[in-house]
Amino acid sequence: MGLDPANQTGRASATGSPRERLASLRARLAGPGGPAAARPVLPLGLTAIDAHLPGGGLALGPPHEIAPMEPADAIAALGFTLALCAAQLARTQGAALIAAAPNQPLPHGHGLAGLGLDPGRLLLLEAGGDAEVFRALEAALHARALPVLIGLLADGLPLKPGRRLQLAAEAGSEGAAPPLVLILRPPQAGLPNGAATRWSIASAPATRDRFGTLDNPRWRARLERCRNGRGGDWLLEWDHAAHRLRLPEPLARDAAAAGRSRA
Amino acid sequence: MTRLRRAGLAPDRGPLAVAAEGPGGLRLLALDPEARALGLRPGEPLGRVRARIGVPLQVHPADSESDRAALLRLCRWAEGYAPVVAPFGAAEAADGFYIDVAGASHLRGGEEPLVDDLAGRLARSNIPARIALADTPGGAFALACYGASDRVIVPPGGAEPALRALPVEALRLDPGTVSGLRRLGLRRVGEVDALARGPLARRFGEALLLRLDQAMGRRPEPLAPLTEEAAYRAARGFLDPIGRQSDIVVTARLLMAEIAPRLERDGIGACGLRLVLHRVDGVMRVLDLGLSRPERCPERVAALVSLRLDRLGAGLDAGFGFETVTLTVTVTGALSARQTELGAAPQGDGIDALADALAQRLGRPLLRLGARASHIPERAAHPRPWTSDPTPWPDHLPPRPLVLFPRGEAALDVLSTVPEGPPRRFRWRARIHAIVHAEGPERIAAEWWHAPGAARDYYRVECEAGRRLWLYRDGPHAPGRPAAWFVHGVFA
Repeated sequence: MGLDPANQTGRASATGSPRERLASLRARLAGPGGPAAARPVLPLGLTAIDAHLPGGGLALGPPHEIAPMEPADAIAALGFTLALCAAQLARTQGAALIAAAPNQPLPHGHGLAGLGLDPGRLLLLEAGGDAEVFRALEAALHARALPVLIGLLADGLPLKPGRRLQLAAEAGSEGAAPPLVLILRPPQAGLPNGAATRWSIASAPATRDRFGTLDNPRWRARLERCRNGRGGDWLLEWDHAAHRLRLPEPLARDAAAAGRSRA
Repeated sequence: MTRLRRAGLAPDRGPLAVAAEGPGGLRLLALDPEARALGLRPGEPLGRVRARIGVPLQVHPADSESDRAALLRLCRWAEGYAPVVAPFGAAEAADGFYIDVAGASHLRGGEEPLVDDLAGRLARSNIPARIALADTPGGAFALACYGASDRVIVPPGGAEPALRALPVEALRLDPGTVSGLRRLGLRRVGEVDALARGPLARRFGEALLLRLDQAMGRRPEPLAPLTEEAAYRAARGFLDPIGRQSDIVVTARLLMAEIAPRLERDGIGACGLRLVLHRVDGVMRVLDLGLSRPERCPERVAALVSLRLDRLGAGLDAGFGFETVTLTVTVTGALSARQTELGAAPQGDGIDALADALAQRLGRPLLRLGARASHIPERAAHPRPWTSDPTPWPDHLPPRPLVLFPRGEAALDVLSTVPEGPPRRFRWRARIHAIVHAEGPERIAAEWWHAPGAARDYYRVECEAGRRLWLYRDGPHAPGRPAAWFVHGVFA
């Protein structure tokens, strides 16, 4: 008989410290039917936000839903989506797929430099509708060839396709890390679905450099829903050179004034 | 005509004509000897002919596709004489063929026995024919159509005197040139050949001299021989017609497995495939599959066929089932054996498979953003197929918006404090934008070699809500002219 039965039984975690037991319970709750092992995540590099997200970052595999706060913020939401895409692409090799429903704003190649994203690493699929976007994303999830998948939807993510995407993420081949799946939808189309997080994005005045010209873009990001996590509301700044999000420095909140004082 | 009689579609006796839609209604296209004996000529309007002759005239509609198919069948048969057989093209009225007997006539005991044999066989098949053998295809054509007898054999080097006596139509010229020559009183090839070449070329163009030289053997005329049937093809027939998707997929896999060794032997792969399903009632279903990379793996081809059938769904309409399935490689590409990297999955492989899967499942291609050398923002980028190499992107451009509209959207109710400066306030998309910050201008001139236009002054502005827009004024500021402002893009 073993001296340490905890190592031999499947209930290892259940007999550990309360913290471990809590973690195991969380993991079991995290994915219905999914493996309870540590999921790969994309850390945002900001402890203030990562602490709100289960696993310390955006989970790779399940879809993340991003919506503008109002229709005029659609481009800001696209910018936030592509910023997350750039963050993931900076960590991995490969390309990102953008599957877009008709009449959705598509990124302009020359404008991607402002986000630090290489246009050569973006693949574009102009789908005929939301249903085709879902099928394309599902096929890409099964193929496990791309580290980032982005769906630009016209009508929002309903429950069934969301669930299918989640299953496809879990069913993918062993070994390869699942991709980061980002779903961008219009503001009014909030439907119950299986998304891991739901972000709401509004544009905010950009930072100014020391000469007072426009510099890094900023967004007001609200984490409206987060499974196994907490919501939050932040003003985020995208540093395109370092490929990371930043919280604005408290002293530089009034960027124009800060620029003047330094000049 | 002969085709109609041979197929039993037309009676063996009685005047017969083929008519086609021409200027001013149906016109006669071809006539049999009996109809010719009535004084009819090709090109006459059918209505006038019917009114003129008293005897009933059998008229059939022209069917150029069947004529072409019949001619190709005849060409295939004629390949027994020599390997290079070329059917007549449009310039030769598409009613005959060339046989290049160079180096092959001795097999039939010389040129004369060969022509006799050919004429005899054609006559026994009830195919009226005029045969000529000459040094050049052009010369042979002229002698066959306008020569003195049905069978002309010109000894080597003897074509020129024989051709000189022929009418100018024999040179395969377009009708305009022929009538022009006749108006000048030039009726014989010899008369044309005797003239100075320079004025002739100026008056009638290069084509006349080319045809003349080709007939006389001064310029070579390559023949376009019949193309070989696709070598990479496999077919399978079924006693019991198949109609289930899984059966078709399995068949496609087996057919590809049959073709794959042939492809491998030649070091190529299939870039395009055509799967033809022959339904029991004679309907053909053709599925064309395009692949992003040369491929000869049966399983992958089967997977793509399956995806395509998924997309077709009920559109395939198997009816009573398919009795024959044919797989043909339509496009090939070089595919040499590759060494795979040990341990690591090669980059791009998965994207290939995904791109093909998306193309079959959704019918939509995968694209890549591509740069184009242009200053005009809306022309500077356009999507390209993803297989193309990434284009280099200029890195010295001033900031460009994340989303660019195909054309500028008008900003209304513009209020500026400085006449030549950026606006302070404007309305766009049913919303008032108050500008708190503006940068610019960046002047982008029109590309005069495409289309003339005014230069645009671009400003990067930020409004109170924090939205950053790309505005331009169409044309420089001029006193007395109201400035037109447009929103061309939005920054992240």
